[in-house]
Amino acid sequence: MELTIDRDGREPVYRQISRQIRELVASGALPPGFRLPPERRLAEALGVNRSTVLRAYDELKGDGLVDAHVGRGTTVLPPRRPAAPAPQEVPPLPWRQLFRQVGPEALDPLVRDLLSQAERRDGISLAVGLPATELLPADELRAALHALFEKVGPRLLQHAPTEGHMPLRETIATLVATRGVLCSPAEVLVLSGSQQGLDLAARVFVDPGDVVVVEEPSFFGGLQAFRAAGARLVGVPVDEEGMRTDLLEWVLGRHRPKLIYTLPTFQNPSGAVLSLERRHRLLDLAARFGVPVLEDDPYSDLRYSGDPLPPLKALDTHGCVMYLSTFSKVLSPGLRLGFLIAPRPAHRQLVLAKQAVDLHASTPGQWLVDRFLREGRYQAHLGRVRRAYAARLLAMDQALRACAPAGMSWQQPDGGFYVWCRLPAEVDPRLLAERAAAAGVGYLPGRPCFASPPPEEYVRLNFSHSEPDLIREGVRRLCRALGEATQARDAAAAAETRPLV
Amino acid sequence: MNYPLAQRMERMKASEIRELLKLTRRPEVISFAGGLPAPEAFPVREMQEVAGRMLGSRGCEVMQYSTTEGEADLRAWIAARMNGRLGTSVTPDEVLVTSGSQQGLDLTGKVLLDEGDSVLCESPTYLAAIQCFSAYRATFVEVPTDDDGMLPEELDRRLRAAYRPKIVYVIPDFQNPSGRCWSLERRRRFMDVVSRHDVVVVEDNPYGELRFEGVALPSLKALDGRGQVVHLSTFSKILCPGLRVGWVAAPAALLEKYVLVKQGADLHTSTLAQRLAADYVQRYDLDAAIARIRELYRRRRDAMVAALEHELPAGTRFTRPAGGLFLWLELPGVVSGRELLVRCLEHDVAFVPGGAFFPNGGHENTARLNFSNMPEPRIEEGVRRLARALREMLAEAAQADRVSS
Repeated sequence: MELTIDRDGREPVYRQISRQIRELVASGALPPGFRLPPERRLAEALGVNRSTVLRAYDELKGDGLVDAHVGRGTTVLPPRRPAAPAPQEVPPLPWRQLFRQVGPEALDPLVRDLLSQAERRDGISLAVGLPATELLPADELRAALHALFEKVGPRLLQHAPTEGHMPLRETIATLVATRGVLCSPAEVLVLSGSQQGLDLAARVFVDPGDVVVVEEPSFFGGLQAFRAAGARLVGVPVDEEGMRTDLLEWVLGRHRPKLIYTLPTFQNPSGAVLSLERRHRLLDLAARFGVPVLEDDPYSDLRYSGDPLPPLKALDTHGCVMYLSTFSKVLSPGLRLGFLIAPRPAHRQLVLAKQAVDLHASTPGQWLVDRFLREGRYQAHLGRVRRAYAARLLAMDQALRACAPAGMSWQQPDGGFYVWCRLPAEVDPRLLAERAAAAGVGYLPGRPCFASPPPEEYVRLNFSHSEPDLIREGVRRLCRALGEATQARDAAAAAETRPLV
Repeated sequence: MNYPLAQRMERMKASEIRELLKLTRRPEVISFAGGLPAPEAFPVREMQEVAGRMLGSRGCEVMQYSTTEGEADLRAWIAARMNGRLGTSVTPDEVLVTSGSQQGLDLTGKVLLDEGDSVLCESPTYLAAIQCFSAYRATFVEVPTDDDGMLPEELDRRLRAAYRPKIVYVIPDFQNPSGRCWSLERRRRFMDVVSRHDVVVVEDNPYGELRFEGVALPSLKALDGRGQVVHLSTFSKILCPGLRVGWVAAPAALLEKYVLVKQGADLHTSTLAQRLAADYVQRYDLDAAIARIRELYRRRRDAMVAALEHELPAGTRFTRPAGGLFLWLELPGVVSGRELLVRCLEHDVAFVPGGAFFPNGGHENTARLNFSNMPEPRIEEGVRRLARALREMLAEAAQADRVSS
């Protein structure tokens, strides 16, 4: 037990002793049962009067911290629970009143539930938007990481700039050039996954009550991010050629939105590709009404048929497009690395927002992806996964053709991760959820993908995550569940009481 | 085109100080401005070994999505560490892994703050917390603070008077920027006061493990009888900052909201970064690594304190922190920290002017100095340059005084 005495201090010496012992007890340095030195010995050691030590011990005894017995000396008592106040005296916190008022409906556990569903070993998940685990380039990444630790050492573990590790920003500029987007590395912002880009855009552009134009259907994570910022969502329908730009003009004129959110290529969930004509039309309208466009493009490298179209960003002559993409779909979702390419004024604000959010994306992941791309491994890997996913898409399409009930319709997409199916009108979505869960197959219900309740029911089926045999089995189970959900509904309808007229 | 920004961005501007500090990147400048941990203390070899092993055995999983809450073994380790060190009784279910503790702050704002809500804080307080809560358009109420911590009576008075008080934000251990550490008695009295109000206490504790002397004190969360303390911490200062792995420990009712909000913010924290941290702490002796960091920083603190004592002109006061990364300077009243920084840049030395750490302004005659990130001789040389710049300014001020009288 080491105590220090400050003789010139304002605090009386006995209080200095009792305070320090108190702190030592609280920290656990003096455990219960610890015998304090006899008063005389401590007094000698500290060079103070015995009565001073006695007074300190008496105070500790009075506070119930120590106990003194003749023959056993002064020992530390077990701790009392820290002043647990009586319940009637201090009620629990009124949490609900403390939570933020803006956008509470946006707190939707959907994504969390989906991710945990992917982990269920017994079922087949067609719900998640994940790449195939067995195709992730783990060996190559391990070799690259090992080499990086050799080469750059501590810098791999140090802070990085908020904008991102500069070599990676250059690499990203080179990567997007293959998609037709020409930008300077200075316009690139490295993100902790592309969900963060949605969150940042919402923060930078949306005040509570502002309107954001979204496609219907759209990516639910995007809808969620804008709702959480208090946005009012106005939907524009999507057909086989993507967003209905013929309706967009009216929407822009009527609602004066702050932002247009679009996934023009292999749209999530519909798989639709915005036609070239509509791409130009969308850009013209955005420029005319002065509304920035957030182009979300996670999937355009994953094309299995047809010819690529330039991203909106590549066609943008007015500087109104912010281009969002990610390494999660091709390379590795676990690294959480995405990027945003934005014109300077927007880029500046997005950087400020990101700095307040998480300082910067995790450093080793940034070096790792940079090295992987610089070694030319991305395109080779892309070729491998494209071939695998094309086969999986085919398997899903064939299985659907073989067993889909009448009235179910879908388009085979040219790329991406999903087949979007319209359900027969007779299917009860709640019953379907029950039956599919019982059958051990997961899917994403269509409803969360709409800004307002849709007139029809849909399901989104993912074909990238599971191997072809599992996909076929999953589709069979789902179609069986669909049949049951229809028949059960007929039975329920028959049991209804109808008024006699 | 003209970008129609949200109103909340009005309060987010690149600060004048940040611009000035960009000038400190020249190699000849000795910068006490950063808050960087010392890279020579990063366990590079160990991390390399951990990375090789991890990607070898569970390769693909590490690259796949993880859960929003974080890696289970890491959450368990964090709960056990807190309970062992801080006297808390946290369960792994009450821990959320975050992308650095900055994200813990941001999620706090997202879960709790509406425009105009009051955040009560120490005076001064952590700059990035000010920026973060400002983005939610909070109102800051500074509570007078002395060397033992926040003054409980002053806090009580302000909690009664503040408009919609939601959060009391504090850094009880080796505060950034002041280096202060709250006394045990003050911690108790603080908790006594807040338990009488319906507010959330956000206890930010990135530096608690970096104690150079004395004994560790229980955290506020350990003294929390009502379940109102949210505890934030990070691996940045005890392992390395580049991973961006931190955590939030909060009562279950609150943590559930944090998880949902994090899901919308970034889905989850980098699996690679989480596995590097989790496997490191399970395979290596973190305590030994922390002991090395402590010893390194203690020597640097000693060097800075000794140099300041030797070099600084009369009328300047500074703290002697028992841990952490920073010490705090109070300059003679006539000297502004901002002006001193400009002058210091001519002498190739830099620091952060203290005014920035007061959300409601004032206190311009203050400065924050970092001592963790450079060897002792450089610290000594930096302090000499700083003292020279300060003496110049004081001489000029005295002369101007004579001329005007």
